[in-house]
Amino acid sequence: MGDSEGTRRSYLEIEAVDPSHGRRTTVIISHDRLQAVARRGTAHIHEAAYIVPEILQRPQAVFEGLCEDMDEDRRGVGWRCYCGIPSRAFSRDGSERPTYPGSVYLVFVNADRVAYNWRWEKADENAPDLPIGHETRFKRRLL
Amino acid sequence: MTPMSDSQFAKEVLSRFPPAPEFKPFAIYDSDGDCIEFFTSGDSFYGERVDDLLTVYRSQDTREIIGSLVKGVSGLFRKLDKNLPGLRIEIEAGSVKLEHLFLLAQWARESPEIRTITYKELIGLAEESNVSVEMSLSA
Repeated sequence: MGDSEGTRRSYLEIEAVDPSHGRRTTVIISHDRLQAVARRGTAHIHEAAYIVPEILQRPQAVFEGLCEDMDEDRRGVGWRCYCGIPSRAFSRDGSERPTYPGSVYLVFVNADRVAYNWRWEKADENAPDLPIGHETRFKRRLL
Repeated sequence: MTPMSDSQFAKEVLSRFPPAPEFKPFAIYDSDGDCIEFFTSGDSFYGERVDDLLTVYRSQDTREIIGSLVKGVSGLFRKLDKNLPGLRIEIEAGSVKLEHLFLLAQWARESPEIRTITYKELIGLAEESNVSVEMSLSA
């Protein structure tokens, strides 16, 4: 991970797996985004600190693209969704707790390699490490 | 830049971005995702897609709606601009009341009769919270 200061927009840089060749690549998260996440509370900034890197580096699946134009990131191709079940979750006070049964964690990365959003979603009952609707909401599965 | 370990990353995030001492409802436009997020609680949540535009956030503890994500905001306003050209003038002031945004998102949908209840619930939450979002249509 690196850190950019003094540029037009500050960000943190973290490692992620590139599903196209399996090697490490880098993904960036803006300070603005982390600031906004911190406003949500302790659980959320802990998810950013611990769960987001885990999913980016050890995903169970990576999807690319969205199936509706309005969903697509305005910068077009290259949009990816990293998906997995992390090793832990966080309570409202930031303490560790077991993960939520029937849930998966998604990290969304745009074409500029910016991880711009992340969250829990309900898992597919028939594929518990994938989100509901994975067959239709993404253009292709890369990993 | 030299990659940092996961533990260093976590330490960096937690030290630089301490959580707010007291939660207050808020909404924010994120240019990287071209989306608007709205929160009424600090609970951990899961996302539940309502349609291609809207995802609601439900508390992991109570399953109640505690927030939302409206995606493709630039596309939404482009679409609405064709039918409601006066809208741009209203938005360019910079601050949009969130209940108005949900109403616009509801209008923009192809099948407005579907899942109208969820939009109405969000409009009610936004009115209660009295939250606005700062954004520009220049994107």
